[in-house]
Amino acid sequence: MKSIQISFVVNGKAVTLSSAPNRTLLEILRDDLGLTGAKDACGGEGECGACTVIMDGAAINACLVFIGQADGSSVETIEGLEDNGNLHPLQRTFVEAGAVQCGYCTPGVIMASKALLDENPNPSNVEIREGLSGNLCRCTGYVKIVEAVRMAAEEISHA
Amino acid sequence: MLEFDFLQPQSLAELMVALDETGGSILAGGTDVIPRMRSNLFSASTLVDVSKIGELSFIEERAGEIVIGALTTHAELMNSEVLRSANPALVDAAASVGCNQTRQRGTLGGNLANASPAADTVPPLLVFDAQVRLVSSDSERTLPLIDFFVGPGKTRLGPAEVIHTVSFPRLTGAWGAAFQKIGKRSGMAIAVVSAAAAVVLDETGKVSDARLALGSVAPTVVRSPKAESILQGQQPTPKLIKAAAQASAGDISPISDVRSTAEYRRHAATVLAERAFQQAVDQAVSLVGA
Ligand SMILES: Cc1cc2nc3c(=O)[nH]c(=O)nc-3n(C[C@H](O)[C@H](O)[C@H](O)COP(=O)(O)OP(=O)(O)OC[C@H]3O[C@@H](n4cnc5c(N)ncnc54)[C@H](O)[C@@H]3O)c2cc1C
Ligand code: FES
Ligand code: FES
Repeated sequence: MKSIQISFVVNGKAVTLSSAPNRTLLEILRDDLGLTGAKDACGGEGECGACTVIMDGAAINACLVFIGQADGSSVETIEGLEDNGNLHPLQRTFVEAGAVQCGYCTPGVIMASKALLDENPNPSNVEIREGLSGNLCRCTGYVKIVEAVRMAAEEISHA
Repeated sequence: MLEFDFLQPQSLAELMVALDETGGSILAGGTDVIPRMRSNLFSASTLVDVSKIGELSFIEERAGEIVIGALTTHAELMNSEVLRSANPALVDAAASVGCNQTRQRGTLGGNLANASPAADTVPPLLVFDAQVRLVSSDSERTLPLIDFFVGPGKTRLGPAEVIHTVSFPRLTGAWGAAFQKIGKRSGMAIAVVSAAAAVVLDETGKVSDARLALGSVAPTVVRSPKAESILQGQQPTPKLIKAAAQASAGDISPISDVRSTAEYRRHAATVLAERAFQQAVDQAVSLVGA
């Protein structure tokens, strides 16, 4: 197995690294770059969404991307959301609405929510649920998550 | 994770060379390949990543023919204005694949090559008599999509052959098309049964063309000639649509598996067939004389 050279942008910073090709974007983010927000909660089946990050503007499961496929891309993770110590509106409304319990799903849910709001700044509750249908949460029952996304949408559109 | 070498051609020409030189396997969106590799259901000494080949990602209309590149994602299919006007059943089917994350990566070519009897894009393509174009370094052929599938996970794709495009003619006149799917839950679910219908009406409102395809009820997605012939040349009354839908049971051979039972599938197929036909007829009726 020949290792490969990858250059991509992570949270605005250019990264170049060499890796075995059978590692996923999720493994590289967590193990090589120390960005442990995105998580593996289903064993990399694409079923849970805990590994959701934004790649070239789209919410994707980082467990289903071999690292070579991320070459040349721009990746945003939960760690890149805060701005000089100020939380992103979604991070704040998730806390305010009580949409975080154990927190294991939260980074993935917030990144999926960000991709949704980037594309549709004023989603209905149904659109929020549909946009988050790939993100499982075993704690909250989703009601407060939907509320948090709606609060963030209102805040962003009034900003 | 299994070991493999990784190649990333940037063009179709480079892809052909890579496949010929390595005998490698194609990786597109990876939504089927990666979970299968992780469960040791699939291995390859070389993976040839096609995800950077922009020339295979497009949706175009050429002289009444809709042409879709194999690398087009489900997200692109569901957001296409051309497809919304030419094949709304395909738009609805693409929108029902997995979740947003799956649709952003998963491609049409991967969905076809995977040859699952539950593949959502297949029924809406079969009711438009779609053709698939396959290319390799020394050959190029086009075959009816229905002949491309041999059985679960089996296709006529040769070694070093690539799905290039899928195409189908635009329907004209008073027509309608619809897709229906039942899964174990409303979101993120593989089809337990799926159905697509397309109907064309003549100027008197009689059916001049009726097509029905059913998924997850046979080794491949199937058309139902029995159902189609009942509607052909007739006024599509609700009663006749029901009779046609019932007749589709004679064209399927469902099995019981982890997702459902044969009995349930047989019943659900006729229900979905009826809904899909009715929805297609309702659209077509609104266009008669228009
Ligand atoms: C969570 C989850 C939910 C899903 N839900 C659905 C669903 O609801 N409905 C559904 O139909 N599917 C579903 N799938 C399956 C999958 O997402 C689709 O089949 C998808 O379209 C596969 O495309 P891909 O680009 O990811 O394929 P890959 O995984 O990259 O490839 C799949 C196969 O196709 C071959 N291949 C890919 N492109 C080509 C080409 N151009 N020419 C020749 N061979 C090619 C590959 O070699 C491989 O054998 C789901 C998957 C996941 C992980
Ligand atoms: S780890 Fe579960 S979807 Fe990626
Ligand atoms: S907060 Fe625990 S899984 Fe969502």
